Amino acid sequence: MAANRRIRNLFLAPAIIYLLFMSIYPLIYSLYLSTTRKNLSRPYQKGFIGFDNYSNLITNDLFRTAIENTIVLAVASILIELIIAFFIARLFVAISDVPGSSIIRTVFILPMMLTPVVSGLLWSYILSPSLGIANHILRELGQAPYPWLASSDTALKSVIMINVWQWSPFLMLLMLAGLMSIPREQYEAAAMDGANILQVVRHIEMPFLRNVVLIGIIFRVIDNFRLFDIIYVTTRGGPGSATEVVTMYAYREMFGFFNVGYGSAAAVLILIMANIVTLVLNRFIRGEEGNVR
Amino acid sequence: MLKRLISLTVVLSCILLPLSLAQAQDGVDWDAELGDWSGNTLKILMVGDPWVTAFDDINPLFEELTGANIVLDAYGYDQTHEKEVLVGTSQSSDYDVIVFDAPWVGEFAEGGFVEDLTPYLDATDPAIIAWDDFMPSFIDVVTWKEQITGVPFGPYILLSHYRTDLYEEAGLEPAETIPDFVANAQALTKDGMYGAALNYQRGSPIGQAWFEYIYAFGGKPFESTYPGSPDPYADMTPLLDSPESIAVVQFFKDMLDYVPIGAENVAWDERATLFATGQVAAVNAWTVRTPGFANPEQSIVVDKFATAMFPHAEGAEPSPPLGGWAMGINKFSEQKDMAWDYIKWFTSQDTLKQFVLAGGPPARMSHMEDPDILAAQHWIPTVAESVPYTYADCRPRIPESSEIITTIGNYVSQAVVGEMSVEDAMKAADEDIATLLKNAGYVVNQ
Repeated sequence: MAANRRIRNLFLAPAIIYLLFMSIYPLIYSLYLSTTRKNLSRPYQKGFIGFDNYSNLITNDLFRTAIENTIVLAVASILIELIIAFFIARLFVAISDVPGSSIIRTVFILPMMLTPVVSGLLWSYILSPSLGIANHILRELGQAPYPWLASSDTALKSVIMINVWQWSPFLMLLMLAGLMSIPREQYEAAAMDGANILQVVRHIEMPFLRNVVLIGIIFRVIDNFRLFDIIYVTTRGGPGSATEVVTMYAYREMFGFFNVGYGSAAAVLILIMANIVTLVLNRFIRGEEGNVR
Repeated sequence: MLKRLISLTVVLSCILLPLSLAQAQDGVDWDAELGDWSGNTLKILMVGDPWVTAFDDINPLFEELTGANIVLDAYGYDQTHEKEVLVGTSQSSDYDVIVFDAPWVGEFAEGGFVEDLTPYLDATDPAIIAWDDFMPSFIDVVTWKEQITGVPFGPYILLSHYRTDLYEEAGLEPAETIPDFVANAQALTKDGMYGAALNYQRGSPIGQAWFEYIYAFGGKPFESTYPGSPDPYADMTPLLDSPESIAVVQFFKDMLDYVPIGAENVAWDERATLFATGQVAAVNAWTVRTPGFANPEQSIVVDKFATAMFPHAEGAEPSPPLGGWAMGINKFSEQKDMAWDYIKWFTSQDTLKQFVLAGGPPARMSHMEDPDILAAQHWIPTVAESVPYTYADCRPRIPESSEIITTIGNYVSQAVVGEMSVEDAMKAADEDIATLLKNAGYVVNQ
């Protein structure tokens, strides 16, 4: 018995050591740093300051704007992605027997395979006021060109559009898998009962998709809290603070100013916020699972 | 037989001519002056400014002279700063030569990221270094508390570039003062042409632009920071909400009417591209961009532009902004002697002349009178005219510089796009910078 326990511990040890060094230690060190004034390029600036970094962050207007923008970005992106993904997934189910549909499906998921930096650069060119195709089309239509990424009215909307373009395929794939797993008999029974399309969606497809979609939403919430590359490439958080998000804020403090203490506090707050949202969604999923049982 | 002899002669010439040219530079015996670095790799970290391609042409000469292999890594402006600080703080020996911008001097010296070059300079033949031949204000830039942090090779001065054809047609003179600059821009904004291009992008681009103009408006960023100040960092009380500072930000806002659509996202590259592609009638840009305007492969205004000194406030002295790059040795390099060999060779009079002719900005006063350079680059007299008015601390060189510049830039950007009033934005910037400087131990009387 004791020998079995030893062997079991031996097998668990690598995973525990890995977690300790790669996850637990950085987290604890980050928590410690967040209570200091440490700055990498100013070694003389250090010392324990308790929760000052956190109180400074919470009272900082720019950080609050960054949180608001992150929430708007996440909610708007995910909602639009869900709608687009659902309709496209249904379309792919409908044309699944048509020859060549797998090629169209592959083309649709291509944006997801690009790195965010590349998609950011691509859209910077497309939306460029002087060189971009978007404004070229506007000019051809007799309209004045528009500074999509340079106007505080449209910069965040443009970033949301790029985000949606890149990540709708992810939710679409999840939904496609969910829709494909619905037994055909259910559709046939619904048709015999005279159900219309909305009733089919509501009473057959939605229950099947619910858990898959919720897991997809959790992934997308985490992704949106981490979204950085697209904004770094297209707007750098500007103009003004129009596209400032929490990752951009933390990045600038950490790697622009090397305020690792203050930057760590921002990172810890981001972690807490992402965890709260994930926990709420997880609870929701578990609740739904309980209801199903 | 004759054919073989001719072939042999041609081959030998191809091999020996570059070698003899390299050895004959400056009349310096480089074979004796430089070490044999065969089998060693020299790694240089620098910004990807337009002159990077000149290094590709010039570095093979050093490789030929010493046997060393040179690897050059170039990044964007902010990324270069990040990478260099990380190299310094991690005490990495990955790079031997560090190329750094004027505002980073204090940070790199205080952080101990670069070697003090004083002993290297002392041990080198003064005729090779010709230290006094460098631009005097840039010697001030690389000097930090008795330390020589680097050797100048690419000082930039902000010049006014204007379209001669458009100015002539409109009967305008290049702007001497800021009101002239605005009036010219207004007059030339018509029929798809815009009067000027400015840096508006959030963060360091517009933050640096604020520093470019604050002296021209007769203001100063901090109480003790002004041309001729005995100690620019003695009293660091920020004056960001002064009438002059407010006027600078208001000027940026007003100029939005005379700059192309999408200006709020314009930084250094875009500012220059707008002029080179003929979309704007004038641009105040660093001298590093000027060779590109004169290059037919990059510009459509090659024969249609001239330069003038940076405009200034009415009744005030000119104050052309000074910036640019110096070469230092990474404190943690394991090949410091080879790095110094490279720096002294690259910044020697003849190599640097080749660099200027290949598109680099002039760092040596003698090059501003060199007939070859004057014949090739018509803007050099404007550079020479600007030099006496340049000020080493026009952007602060203290370790907090990057944070100061970016923070100011974020507030100016918020004011320009209308998120905050100009007064509120600059008051908030003033408070933030005062707190930052107080925490860092500077004298701030607020």
